Amino acid sequence: MKKSSIIGIIVIAVAIAVIISTYSSSSTYGSFNDASKTTSSLQVVGHLVKDKQLYYDAHKDANYFSFYMTDNKGQECKVVFTGTKPQDFERSEQIVLTGQMQGSEFHASKILMKCPSKYTQDKVEITETKAKTANI
Amino acid sequence: MDTAFKGEHLLPGQLGQFFVILAFGSALLSAISYYFAATNTNKLDKSWQWLGRLAFFINSISVVSIAACLFYIIFNHLFEYHYAWAHSSRTLPVYYIISCFWEGQEGSFWLFAFWQAVLGNIVLWRAKSWENPVMSVIALAQTLIASMLLGVEVFGSRIGSSPFILLRQAIEGPIFSRPDYLTFIKDGNGLNPLLQNYWMVIHPPTLFLGFASMVVPFAYAIAGLWQRRYKEWVQPALSYSLFACMILGTGVIMGSFWAYESLNFGGFWAWDPVENASMLPWITMIGAVHVLIVYRNTGHSYFTATFLVLISFILVLYASFLSRSGILGETSVHSFTDAGLKWHLVIDVLIFLFLSIALVAMRWKELPITKKDEETYSREFWMFVGAIFLALACFHLVLVTSIPVWNWIFGTKMAPPTEPVKHYNVIQSSFAVVITLLMGFTQFLKYKTTDATRFFITTLVYLVFSALIGGLVVYVTGVYKLHYIFSFVMIGSIYTVMANAKVLADVFKGKIKLAGSAIAHIGFGLILVGAVIAAGTSSVVSQNNSGIGYGDEFAKTSNPKENIMLYKNQPVQMGGYTVTYFGDSIVAPNHYFKVDYKKINASGKVTEEFVLKPNSQANNKMGLVSSPDTKHYLFHDLYTHVTMAPIKGDLDGEDGGHSETDDDKNYDAPVEHTVGVGDTIRFREGFMVLKSLNKETHVENIPLKGTDVAVGAAFEVTSHEKTYKAEPIFMIKDGNAFDFAKKVDDAGLKLRFSKIIPEQNKVQVQVFQQPESKKPYIVMKAINFPYINFFWSGTIIMVIGFLMSIFRRNKELKISTANAELKEGKQAKLQKA
Repeated sequence: MKKSSIIGIIVIAVAIAVIISTYSSSSTYGSFNDASKTTSSLQVVGHLVKDKQLYYDAHKDANYFSFYMTDNKGQECKVVFTGTKPQDFERSEQIVLTGQMQGSEFHASKILMKCPSKYTQDKVEITETKAKTANI
Repeated sequence: MDTAFKGEHLLPGQLGQFFVILAFGSALLSAISYYFAATNTNKLDKSWQWLGRLAFFINSISVVSIAACLFYIIFNHLFEYHYAWAHSSRTLPVYYIISCFWEGQEGSFWLFAFWQAVLGNIVLWRAKSWENPVMSVIALAQTLIASMLLGVEVFGSRIGSSPFILLRQAIEGPIFSRPDYLTFIKDGNGLNPLLQNYWMVIHPPTLFLGFASMVVPFAYAIAGLWQRRYKEWVQPALSYSLFACMILGTGVIMGSFWAYESLNFGGFWAWDPVENASMLPWITMIGAVHVLIVYRNTGHSYFTATFLVLISFILVLYASFLSRSGILGETSVHSFTDAGLKWHLVIDVLIFLFLSIALVAMRWKELPITKKDEETYSREFWMFVGAIFLALACFHLVLVTSIPVWNWIFGTKMAPPTEPVKHYNVIQSSFAVVITLLMGFTQFLKYKTTDATRFFITTLVYLVFSALIGGLVVYVTGVYKLHYIFSFVMIGSIYTVMANAKVLADVFKGKIKLAGSAIAHIGFGLILVGAVIAAGTSSVVSQNNSGIGYGDEFAKTSNPKENIMLYKNQPVQMGGYTVTYFGDSIVAPNHYFKVDYKKINASGKVTEEFVLKPNSQANNKMGLVSSPDTKHYLFHDLYTHVTMAPIKGDLDGEDGGHSETDDDKNYDAPVEHTVGVGDTIRFREGFMVLKSLNKETHVENIPLKGTDVAVGAAFEVTSHEKTYKAEPIFMIKDGNAFDFAKKVDDAGLKLRFSKIIPEQNKVQVQVFQQPESKKPYIVMKAINFPYINFFWSGTIIMVIGFLMSIFRRNKELKISTANAELKEGKQAKLQKA
């Protein structure tokens, strides 16, 4: 057999191996319901429940942060994160959690939040405007 | 609407927009002219070429003028322009205006266009017979970049995004119907505080120069196919390819250094999709450089060389699509949001992809693809294998990084790996093992053919030595506790370093030409050594079990508690150090927390002491933004950053305007003590002694008359082994009693001198103590990174190696062109004769 064909076979074999390993370690975005059925860790996309309490008190435990989130199916769940409260968390539009269910709580090891306002904030601040109009 | 708006400065924007359109038009004209110049059969007709050159000069001038207009707008705070409003503010120091340029998408496109213009001018001046075809490709790339800046409406859809768009055009809002709306817009949004850093001034230009320089080898490869000059394009393309690798590599590592020094990622590489995207073209171009050399030396691997050069530039465009289209929103922390350019970016990628595929297909039958197999014991064969493995490593990165793209195309709902860092580390390390071994033993092979037995002996000797040294390193640093693949990477990297050190040793015996590649390889080996140890064995020093429990559920999680709570002036034990948060210094807008680290040995002696000052900004727009501070040792780094601190107050200025009773709320109910001189008062965190009563005290701005009295009670306060002085004052003025309390903030105390009891010769003092929750604190994280200096020094060594190689290849290019000219001259003479 020619060497180029051997290399060709190796390349194809490695490429297939890479695709399979990528596919097998890629996960799916699940819901809290999915999370309660499995013991492995998975990713949940959802929104922060803004009218429920965000709890973080550094004096009691600097590594405990809890909040409520609704997943994309509308289910609400308490989420506990081992760490400090991420900055600007209240303003997040969408949250991607990585973690697993522990009883009735979802324990997140990673939080990724999407704040479109983070880099370009296309909102003119009107507060100043109001005050000025009153003067006129 | 024909409202006449007051106070707008429209001229710089209109001028800028004119130059944007001129830049686009001239680039297009240049591309077309050069195309005709390249296809023109009449060699003496230079008119197309001159037109192409002229148009390219106009393009370069326009690109610089765009920057001048934009700079004028930002510098003069013309907030009627969206770009100035969104990215700058009045308080921004002048030297960061340059960073504003690349905070927005438009500015970074401009940067790309600028570098492409610079490189175009260099090529134009140096390329000689290659000028026409190569420049037509570069001008085409320039046209597409310029089109991204257009911001012109065509058939109802906006093409490109202009930096000169007005605020009132960019954002809808009722206030924009007022002619005097500008009087309400006092200030811009300001530059993201994370970008207010000198690394952010130099990292993007370097990175974009690296991206832009990929276009030159690409253009040469296309020109080689197009003009059927399959052999000659390699030599000039080689120097540019090496340059692109060197600059892009530097840019990527600079980004990594910036992240490490001033962001709170907690590391130097996070496999974030945007980071990966910038590395894709680098990997393929490294592969390309190697096969270009193979092709030049032996005539083998023509197709692989062309393919890798072409794909590198296409990956540059693809990377720009990934990071700018907003498609990575769910997977990346620092991608841009979509500026409406998604399809435009897709088209950009597709144009160059189709151009490449079409040309290769058209010329397929003529391509100099060798039918003969390479020798197994030849350097070219294994360099080729190495390039293939680099391409495969890149393939894996593309595959995983593009998961959101696959979802977009196929409508699937895949999520990236739940533990992306582990996934990338293991798979990319597997490739690294193969590549480092190849980088090692290929050094013992010669081009064409090598004596097999001698080769096996040297290879094996070096491999055994590397395994021994590697094994020792793995054992000492603790890498063996990780996934086994990292131990292999370590041995492979050490093998690379040793084999290339041998080559370098030969350099001193006269084989000077090989120095560049040997040094670059050693640098790369060291980078891997540093990365494996630093990333693999870094440990969170601040791990702790403090804090009250939150129930069994919380205790069960395996997630370690990595943040530690430090109350001001309360020392805490942390990983061998005694750490104390002891002070603050505020240099607006940064709030520095002074943290003292002490190492105390068994006999209670302080063996080492230093202060780190991590800082945070309480930013109106972005909340708390923290930057770490790192203690650098030769063999490890101690990295500290603040994850939480109650400094919201920085925003409102020092808490002015609070009345005394308000202030008392910050303390527990006071405890009254009646003491005489020399008496001691104990409090929760220490004690204080009344040293003396000073009758000659006076309070500033309050003159004392006849019967008025002012007495100071001088206390010496000791808390956590530190002494402070405080002198609260009691005063009788015009028959009324006043008192002036004194605070000892660092001890969380306030003292009031409330009464004098003359008959007992004693005084009454109220002691206010701050409850824990009101005391200043920081929550911080500390990480130890061992041997990270290998990573940085490896980078510098690699860049030096690249530089040497560029000089070598340039010299060769000069010799070969001189030879070619000599030949032509001879032929011309012969023809004349």
